[in-house]
Amino acid sequence: MDMLFTDDQLALAETVRDYLAGTHGPEVLRRLDVDGNRDPAIWQGLVDMGLTGLLIPEDQGGLGMGLADAALIAVECGRACLAEPLVETAFVAVPWLVAQGRTSELAAILAGTTKPELSHAINPWVADGTGAALTSVDPLRNLTAAPAERSDDPLLLNLGALMSAAQLVGLADAMLAQAVEYAKIRTQFGQPIGAFQGLKHQLASCAVAIEFAKPVLWRAAQALADGLDSAAVHVSHAKVAATDAAQLTSETAIQVHGAMGYTYEVDLHFWMKRSWALSGAWGSRAFHLRRVDAAVLGGSHPVGPEHTFA
Amino acid sequence: MQLTYTPEQQAFRAEVRAWMETHVPKEPLITLECREGYDQHVAWERTLASGNWGMVTWPEAFGGRRLDLIQWLIFEEEYFRAGGPNRANQNGIFLLGPTIMEFGTEEQKARFLPPMARGEVIWAQAWSEPGAGSDMAAISSKAVRDGDHYVITGQKTWSSRAAFADWGFGMFRTDPESKRHKGLTFILFDLNSPGITRRPIRQLHGDTGFAELFFDEVRVPVENCLAGEGEGWNVAMATAGFERGLMLRSPGRFQATAKRLVELYRQHEAEASPTAREAVTQAWMAAQAYAYNTYAVAAKIMAGGKIGAEASLNKIFWSELDRAMHRTAMQLLGAHAELKRFDDGSINAWLEGYIFSLSGPIYAGSNEVQRNITAERLLGLPRVGAG
Repeated sequence: MDMLFTDDQLALAETVRDYLAGTHGPEVLRRLDVDGNRDPAIWQGLVDMGLTGLLIPEDQGGLGMGLADAALIAVECGRACLAEPLVETAFVAVPWLVAQGRTSELAAILAGTTKPELSHAINPWVADGTGAALTSVDPLRNLTAAPAERSDDPLLLNLGALMSAAQLVGLADAMLAQAVEYAKIRTQFGQPIGAFQGLKHQLASCAVAIEFAKPVLWRAAQALADGLDSAAVHVSHAKVAATDAAQLTSETAIQVHGAMGYTYEVDLHFWMKRSWALSGAWGSRAFHLRRVDAAVLGGSHPVGPEHTFA
Repeated sequence: MQLTYTPEQQAFRAEVRAWMETHVPKEPLITLECREGYDQHVAWERTLASGNWGMVTWPEAFGGRRLDLIQWLIFEEEYFRAGGPNRANQNGIFLLGPTIMEFGTEEQKARFLPPMARGEVIWAQAWSEPGAGSDMAAISSKAVRDGDHYVITGQKTWSSRAAFADWGFGMFRTDPESKRHKGLTFILFDLNSPGITRRPIRQLHGDTGFAELFFDEVRVPVENCLAGEGEGWNVAMATAGFERGLMLRSPGRFQATAKRLVELYRQHEAEASPTAREAVTQAWMAAQAYAYNTYAVAAKIMAGGKIGAEASLNKIFWSELDRAMHRTAMQLLGAHAELKRFDDGSINAWLEGYIFSLSGPIYAGSNEVQRNITAERLLGLPRVGAG
C-alpha cells in the first residue's frame, strides 16, 4: 500500500508542465483562436517528447507506462489548456486499442500521423473528427457530428471520463492560480483585493475542493489500471469530484477578476470554457453521480471503513 | 502507486479485527461528557491498554507498538468498523504524546508517556483563554519563576476533558514584558494542584465536556516545562499541526458515519427527497476522498515528507463533511430527529452527533482561521490583521 507517485513520475509531469508553460502560454491560445485552432508544430513537439507513446507497450516502441502516469500528464494538459488532442489520442484511444488487441494502428499513433476518431454513445459529438462541424463554446475544441454507428464500450467511456477528470483538475489548478495572481496585484481601497477575507475564504474553498479531488483521481486511475470490478464507480467518483472542483473554481475565479473576468482580454475564459466542455464530456455529472449512487445505495459496492480500497 | 495491502498488512487487519470484535463494548458507552460516561471511557482506555492497543504508533519503550502510518490507518479502520468508543485520551495520544516525543527530555518522556499509554493519566488541553481564542498569541495567564517553581495565575477556558481529567497542558506567559508569540512557555500541570479551580461548562446539550480553569498562585515544578522557557509558541505550533494534521480525525470515523447514513437512507428511502439522496452519495464520496487523501499524506510522510499548512485543508474538509453528514441524517429523520431516545429506547446518536459536529468547524482553530492560513500560506495571498 503506497499511494505515492515516484520521483520519476513526478519529474516527467514537471517536464511536461515546464514544456507547455514555455511553448503553450495564453498568447498561443489567442493565436490559435484566430488562426484555426490546430498547429502541426505544437503537435510535433508533443510527439517528439514521446507523449503519444506514453501508454504504448515498450515492445511496440512506446514507453509502456500506466494510466496513473497518463492521468498525471493529463492534469498538465488541462493546466495548459492544451488544444491539441493529445489526451484523447494517447491516453484514451491507445489504452482502448491495446485492450482490444488492435495494435496495428499504434505505430502511426506513436509517430503522430494518426489521431483516431473516438465516437461513443455517451457523447453527441466527436472531438477532432472529420464529419460536419459543430460549434463548441470552447473555441479551441474541434467538434464534429457523431456518426450513426457509435461504440457503447464501457472501457472507452471510463477512459474518456477518467482523462476528462484529470484535465478538469489541471484546469481548476490553473484557474485558481490565475485568480490568486490577480488578487495579489489588483488594488482597491488601498490594498490588494487578495487581502480581503471575503476573497481569501472563497479561494481557500477552491483549494480544498481541488486538494480532495486529486487523490480520488489517482485512486480511479489505479483502479482502472488494475482492472478492478469497481473501477467504474471510482472513475465516476473522480469525474464528479473534478467537475465540482472545476465548477467552483471557475465561478470563483471570474468573481475574483470582477468585470475584467468578463472580458476576452483576460485569459481566464479559455480555461473556463474548457472546463464547461469537459464537465459534460464522457458522461455528465448526473450520469456519473447516478453510477456511484447505484453502486453505493444499491448495495453492490461495499461501504464502511474497512472497505477503503474495495 | 500500489493500492493493495501486503499479506502482512492483511494479517495485521485480521488481528485487530479479532481483538476488537471480542473487546469493543456491545452497548454504546454513555457520553464522555458526564461523570459516569467519562469513567466508562477511561475503563475502555485501560482495556485497550491491556491489549497494547492504546498508543499504537508510539515506540515500544513508551507502551506502543511502533506501527507505521499504514498500519495505523488499518488499525483505525478496524476500530471504527467495530464501533469503538471515542477516546478519552485523545489529547494525550494525538497532541501531547507526539509533542513530548519531539520536545521532551528523556526524563520527561519516561515520566509522562508510559502512564499515558496505560490509560492511568488522562490529559486535558488548556489552550484558550477568555481573551485568547482564535488569537492564541493573546494569552495573558502568567507563570512567574520562583526558585524551582513557576507560580501560575490566570484563567483558561474551553479546556476539553478538563472537568474530569488528571493532568493538563497549555501555554503561559513567563516573560511579563513580552508580547504576542514571544515569552510564552509550554507547561504541564497536575489538575489537582492546590490553587486550581475547575468550573465545568455546561454545553448546549446540557452535558459538560470542557471546563474553565482558574489558577490562583499554583506552584508547578520547573521540570514540568517542555522545551525551555520562552519556547512555548514553537511547541504549540507543532502540537496544533499534529491536531489539525493527520492524526486528530482518522478517516475510519467518517467512513463509519457514511455507512450508517447509507443504512439510515435505506430505511427512509420512501419519503426521502432527491436532494437527500444526493447528499448521502456525496457523504460516501467525501468520506472516501478523505481516506484516500490520508493514505496519500501517510505515504508522503513515510517517504520523508512533511505536512505543513496543508493540515488546514484537512481540518476544513473533515469538519464540514461531518456536519453535512449529520445534517442529512437529521433531515432524513424528520420528526424523529428531535427525540433524544427513539421509541425503542435507543439513544438518538444522530442528534448527539449533529450537535457535536457543530463544534468541529470551531475547535482546533476555527475554519475561518484555517481558510486564512490556506489563503496566506498555501496560496500566497497577502497577510493582514493578525501579526
